Amino acid sequence: MDMLGMYPTFYVPGIGTAWVMGIIGVIHVVASHTSVGASFLFALLETRAWREKKPELLVFIKQYGMFLLVFSYIIGSITGPGIWYAITVASPRGVSGLIHNFVWVWASEWVYFTVEVIGVYALVYLLGKIDPKTHLKLTWSFALASWATMLLIVGILSFMMWPGNDRWYRTGATSDAFFNVNFFAQLGTRTGAMFVMAALVGLLVASRLKDAALRRSVVRFLAPIGLLGGLFAVLMFLYYLRTLPSNAIVMLNTHLLPVYAKAMVEVFTVATLWLLFAWWRPHQVYTSLALAMFAFIAVFGVWPEERMRESMRKPYVAGQYIYGNQVIARDVPGKGIASEVDTVAAHGLLKLNPFVPTQLRQVTDANELEAGKLLTKMACANCHSLEPGGPLRNLPAKLHYATDEDMIAAFLRGPLKYGSQPYMPRIDLPDDEVRAIARYLAAVDRTQTANPPSGPQPLAAIQPVSMRK
Amino acid sequence: MDIGTVMNTMRDPAGVPAQPVVFQILMVLTWVLHIEFVHLALGAAGLAIFAFHRRRHGPHWERLSLALTKVAKVAVSLLIVLGVGPLLFTQVIYDPQWYTSNVLSGRWAIAFIFTLIVAYCCWFAFYHANRAGARRYIGVYAWIALVLFCLDGLIMHALSYQALLPQQWMNWYAPGGVVDTRGAALHAIQWPRYVFIMGLSVPGIGLFLIAYARYFAVRADYEATWLDFVRMLGRRLARWGFALSIIPMLAWQAVLPVGSGLLSDPIGWLIVAILAAMALWMRGDKDAKDATHGYLPLAGGVALLGVLAIWREVIRVHYLRPLGYDIQTYKVQVDWPSTVLFFATLAGIGGLVGGFYLLLLYRSGRTQGLYTADRSVSRMGTGAVAVLGVWIAVFLAYGIAISVRDTFY
Repeated sequence: MDMLGMYPTFYVPGIGTAWVMGIIGVIHVVASHTSVGASFLFALLETRAWREKKPELLVFIKQYGMFLLVFSYIIGSITGPGIWYAITVASPRGVSGLIHNFVWVWASEWVYFTVEVIGVYALVYLLGKIDPKTHLKLTWSFALASWATMLLIVGILSFMMWPGNDRWYRTGATSDAFFNVNFFAQLGTRTGAMFVMAALVGLLVASRLKDAALRRSVVRFLAPIGLLGGLFAVLMFLYYLRTLPSNAIVMLNTHLLPVYAKAMVEVFTVATLWLLFAWWRPHQVYTSLALAMFAFIAVFGVWPEERMRESMRKPYVAGQYIYGNQVIARDVPGKGIASEVDTVAAHGLLKLNPFVPTQLRQVTDANELEAGKLLTKMACANCHSLEPGGPLRNLPAKLHYATDEDMIAAFLRGPLKYGSQPYMPRIDLPDDEVRAIARYLAAVDRTQTANPPSGPQPLAAIQPVSMRK
Repeated sequence: MDIGTVMNTMRDPAGVPAQPVVFQILMVLTWVLHIEFVHLALGAAGLAIFAFHRRRHGPHWERLSLALTKVAKVAVSLLIVLGVGPLLFTQVIYDPQWYTSNVLSGRWAIAFIFTLIVAYCCWFAFYHANRAGARRYIGVYAWIALVLFCLDGLIMHALSYQALLPQQWMNWYAPGGVVDTRGAALHAIQWPRYVFIMGLSVPGIGLFLIAYARYFAVRADYEATWLDFVRMLGRRLARWGFALSIIPMLAWQAVLPVGSGLLSDPIGWLIVAILAAMALWMRGDKDAKDATHGYLPLAGGVALLGVLAIWREVIRVHYLRPLGYDIQTYKVQVDWPSTVLFFATLAGIGGLVGGFYLLLLYRSGRTQGLYTADRSVSRMGTGAVAVLGVWIAVFLAYGIAISVRDTFY
């Protein structure tokens, strides 16, 4: 084999490509979960309005619906494909793997999505213009269609973590990939979370209602739904943690929980107290307060959750068979897919990637630094910022600003070559490529040695986590 | 390195789950839906702005501006969601070309998202402010939105066009042998193609206005003078729009690669002929009520877009096949359950639920006051809820069965 099906590299200096994806993803998750949750709130409220003959409740639905049109069906609609664009440029082989496994599932979601967008306009603009019973059918069908979009995307998202058993690797069947061990746990977590998000946005919309009695009625309707949704989401999240692969557990325990656990508990506590307060004192749900609480919970709740979900997958981007750096990590006989790790070890990335300029295919003294830079981008930049101070697990900090090329090379020839760090890919490269990377990284680190952010501890940095105290 | 071999190696090793031609057909069909709403959104936005600035020339212009501002708002939502279809199916069979093109212009691909959000928010700001007696400066929001919409169209055009030029990829990625991973440039733009496709928004909104006049003709609260104004304006826009579109279309024909055989392909010339025929048709008798005053011209416009979609695909094949890339040789691994899932969803959910919504919107829009569903529409509504319940139940039951089997067996 003289070539692998790899793509060129796109790299955003500083924040790294994964952060671009993360930012778009968080906006989308907040908007989309809010819209799905809100669709059920609409259906329940409208049913109540119809049964109890309280047409004033429809005023709230109309206002919430108008808000959703902007918030979810503009920002949410655009950021949905936006995630595609972001992962396309950051990880083209990863998104290709997902597309080619799940194209019909995604196409089904697209059908639902189209129906949903037509539905939300019909729901909002036909309120009071068609007979109530028909509108109620419209609203319930809209709610079910909205939840179906979640059903369809969760299987793909959960497969990105892992299939959970050996079967998909043997059969290659979409069903085995989609209904993976992670599916129901993640579906439950997101279903609970959607009610929380919808309730929080609902409080914001309700705070603008001029009729005090209507506001109290709506807030007291929303708050318990948000609380129950939150409780369900937490329970399902605990179940979700039980469905994770070992590399994710290691990542979680060593890197993520120490950073995010406290913040997540705080966000949960604040959200619970806010919903309880709203239930208790509905007339004191002011717009400014509701907006601040929504923004706080959306940013500080969803960002860590999405960041953890993305990070726990590492070193893979899909199904534990594609590494973040585009290399196929294992055989998938059911799909006729062969691992590329050993091929890379034998020939090197420079020779196998078709997008390497001719003069860099062979490492020489003259081009070693340039080749090292390109290799580092190809092999590492999907998960790491290359610049000192970059927020995405930046390599200089990970290497504790080591300037010793031999020490960096030792890490590459040791834990990385043998894949002994659970959340790092196995990157086994020929020696000339190892030296080129080491030289480049040492050169980057040298720019920081005058004023390193922290004391150098290179040995700790290059040891596998299991060896550290 | 042979670029055909490179592209074939870059194909996803998982293969495709149905015959490639199925995805090709779906790609062409869904692009037609998408581009219809692109034209509607751009045409409505442009005319809404024009009418906004002509408000002092009569009440019809103000009313037109308000109506089309709403139309553009809804059309943008739909063009986005309908754009997902062709985007998806393109990636299945033309993954090497699409992904490479995106990576090489990565910043633009990302900028597309944020500029579209800004554009849509600006349009919404215009929508909320555009009321009777609105101040002139609010037109700035609309202009910003329109310019950004056109920029987004240009980004999509460039990403599509770059995908046709694989021989250039390496020059763009590593000019002079120096790798550039910034994705900071749009590397190739074929202006005649871009201008032609975007310019069809003018006759497109004309056809929409003709259909609009027909649609609201049954409403007593839509005066005949207003509908006549809309219809005549629509005809004028359609007539001149189609006629003038021939110019960029011919320019596009002129820049097609020599020796590709495209210039002698009848489909390109068929588009020129349809443009001319549509322009002549719209010229017609002023008082003709049926042929040019109903939905038929809109159907003619859709047919034109269908031919255009085919022409785009013919062009792509002519560019890529000589290099050794043929979708028919893509590895196929049929996956029946997910294939059935899609077509069942398309028929059951798209057909019944989507049909219910569209029928409701259509009928209620033609009814002055409260619309009460008749028995057939009411049953369709019940059917929509039922089919969704059944779909979800079957989906979850199937999922549980698969999960249990995969866990314990």
